[in-house]
Amino acid sequence: MGGSTNGATDLSSEMEVDAFRRLFPLRFHERHLLESVRPDARSLGKARETSLALGAVASADGSALAKIGCTVNPTMLAAIKMEVMTPAKETPDEGCVAIDFHMPPICSPIVRPGRPAEAAPVVSKQLSDTIISSGMIDLKELSLVSGKAAWMVYLDIYCLDADGALFDAALLAAAAAFSHLQIPVVSLNDDGRIVVVSKENGGDKKEKNKPVNEEKRKLKLKNIPFALTCILHKKYILADPTAEEESIMETLITIVLDSSCQLVSLYKPGGPALAYESVVQDCIALSRQRVKELQKVLNESILDMEVD
Amino acid sequence: MVGLSIGEKHFIQGGIAQDLRTDGRKRLSYRPISVETGVIAQANGSARVKMGKTEVIASVKAELGRPSSSAPDKGKVSIYIDCSSTAAPQYEGRGGEELSMELSAALRQCLLGGKSGAGAGINLSSLAIVDGKVCWDLYIDGLVINIDGNILDALGAAIKAALSNTGIPKVNVSSTAPSDDQPEVDVSDEEFLQFDTTAVPVIVTLTKVGRHYIVDATSEEESQMSSAVSVSVNRGGMICGLTKRGGAGLDPSVILDMISVGKHVSEQLMNKLDSEIAKAEAAMEEES
Amino acid sequence: MAAKGGAAPATYSPSPTTYKKKRAPIFTDVDWVRPDGRDFHHCRPAFLRTGAVNAASGSAYAEFGNTKVIVSIFGPRESKKALMYSDTGRLNCNVSYTTFATPVRGQASDNKEISSQLHKSLEGAIMLDTFPKTTVDVFALVLESGGCDLPVVISCASLALADAGIMMYDLVAAVSVSCLGKNLVIDPVSEEENYQDGSLTITCLPSRNEVSQLTITGEWSSPKIHEGMELCLDACAKLGKIMRSCLKESASTSQE
Repeated sequence: MGGSTNGATDLSSEMEVDAFRRLFPLRFHERHLLESVRPDARSLGKARETSLALGAVASADGSALAKIGCTVNPTMLAAIKMEVMTPAKETPDEGCVAIDFHMPPICSPIVRPGRPAEAAPVVSKQLSDTIISSGMIDLKELSLVSGKAAWMVYLDIYCLDADGALFDAALLAAAAAFSHLQIPVVSLNDDGRIVVVSKENGGDKKEKNKPVNEEKRKLKLKNIPFALTCILHKKYILADPTAEEESIMETLITIVLDSSCQLVSLYKPGGPALAYESVVQDCIALSRQRVKELQKVLNESILDMEVD
Repeated sequence: MVGLSIGEKHFIQGGIAQDLRTDGRKRLSYRPISVETGVIAQANGSARVKMGKTEVIASVKAELGRPSSSAPDKGKVSIYIDCSSTAAPQYEGRGGEELSMELSAALRQCLLGGKSGAGAGINLSSLAIVDGKVCWDLYIDGLVINIDGNILDALGAAIKAALSNTGIPKVNVSSTAPSDDQPEVDVSDEEFLQFDTTAVPVIVTLTKVGRHYIVDATSEEESQMSSAVSVSVNRGGMICGLTKRGGAGLDPSVILDMISVGKHVSEQLMNKLDSEIAKAEAAMEEES
Repeated sequence: MAAKGGAAPATYSPSPTTYKKKRAPIFTDVDWVRPDGRDFHHCRPAFLRTGAVNAASGSAYAEFGNTKVIVSIFGPRESKKALMYSDTGRLNCNVSYTTFATPVRGQASDNKEISSQLHKSLEGAIMLDTFPKTTVDVFALVLESGGCDLPVVISCASLALADAGIMMYDLVAAVSVSCLGKNLVIDPVSEEENYQDGSLTITCLPSRNEVSQLTITGEWSSPKIHEGMELCLDACAKLGKIMRSCLKESASTSQE
């Protein structure tokens, strides 16, 4: 091992950096780790710069764009469409949330049309589990007419540029879309269907059908969950990995904390490195910092929108 | 695919340039067209059209359906073309799917007009029975049996012939049913209404080979084309649809010229088809 | 994929778009105002940017009013194993819609048809013989559909191809006009498209003044086709200039 590392080190002085990066990706990254720095100049525990923009999709009831990394390009687009359903018999005054995570062919060279990415359903399930179990949304708030009608919230998250830590970005975009969500004012018409009260006919003859949800235009979000994915490689912990790092160093650990820093969930889907208790503790400490950052980003984006 | 030697290619191109094609035709003349109607007994209307060696069958089936919520006062039409593997071995299995889709889309565009229904060859309002409750669904299916060029024109002609062969059963709506229920309809199996085909356009494809364009190209000639423009023209001389095939770009003035030539040719084709259809109908009545 | 167990219940959208009334009378009058207040012969402002997706070899984002599209280019890369040897390159196009692109969820139009139209519009402009044996993938995602989706996808795709360094004879610009009653309106929004009597879409290579694709639906007289084509070609030339300047801008920023 030592000999070959030396060989590579010698090579690295002769080769171009890009060629070395492609031919010996692991050694390339390990050389960086020795210096406690990553190829994109981040320190090991530092997550990428993150920003949010709310209300990107006019045809949706709530939407958000999340940008991860210093580029101008959006990474995740989340949008919410509200539809009406008849609630289940067991829960007559609860709505429902359906969450779907998509990886369209544009986001990554490995996804092709007709052959969906393996990661998409996994992230979908994780998102559903996290959002439902964190108690961020009170499903009772989604009720319209008890036993008759309730909101079905369709949340679709599209990955526009797959560059690692998809779940973290998707969860952030989802939470932001929920904070942007503006529930349409609706009324019950004579046929027993729920219809939107539009501004133009609000005044005239339709007045007899009173809006059923005038006061419930926004959802009260509590315990918003935030996630941080780390790579465990040898003794190093790398926060918020890029796609390149994920493909080279395989052990991931994802920690989800809510806004009051309580642990919501923790995933460690196998991998060659084992997570000792101390390592998990370190990861949680990193996540705590990240939650504070993300919460600030989210609050700022909400403020920005209100100013506009 | 057509495999041609360099000599053959030159022969075809040179012939077209001199207005004398390999089969002796002029640039703007058709191969002999033959029409046979009522070829499928189970369908409401059907026709077989042969243009030279190109052979297609079209059938029309009418079924009762529910109008879509966006157009409650209209019937529905679906057009689907199938390229049989008897036409060419490469259409076996899913091989013909792409061509089928392209042809179906082009025909839909030519026959069904714009979104509001203006310029449609098939009047969708005439297919309505009870507003928002019952209407006729027209299923138009085309089958390509043999391909020797110019399939789109042949299919357009076959659909036109099949529609003029179509009788739609008379329907009596019982007025007693309450307004919000599905009304009872009684479909007569004796009385038929002749489907109105005056507005159905014909399709003329102009194939550009070298600097000239030809109508009714054979497969050999099509293999030499740079691009082709299909124009559908109705009896009033209005353009009801246009699609372009082939990658090469065209000068805008050339396109306009092709449109006016297409319009001119379409008149002859329309008359020719009308007389062939009338002949076929007469022949069928004699038989029965 | 419902978050709660069991089958997802049937849902419906409460917005009134599902049962449209008759076509608004304003469209049949001679004088009416377009939904977004534009002139009949005025295009929506176009926003274009290259390099929207880092993972792709080239990409572009286009925003025309409410129509928002991202196109990524991958390749030239190895063709599918099943395909036979070919001494020219292959072009593979795919267009998909997000579930929230249309007012009613998941009601996007036929992607296959749009994909094949995109392919037909682009193939004439690309020098396929510069990448033999390989495939260039053009993938488009319509984030929001606000009318004129196909022309926007085509223009955006050609910009992305240029960004990926794929050799082309010229950029490809596409514009469509709608015929509403007696009037021709350029670059229609969805609402106008739903009521239109006919449409004319031109794809052209602006600097070569060549039409690579033309589609017409509805009933048109020859003079009207003439008028429509002229409107479109004029707009294509302008759009081509915007696309060119967008490419220049991105090239100069990347040099710095």
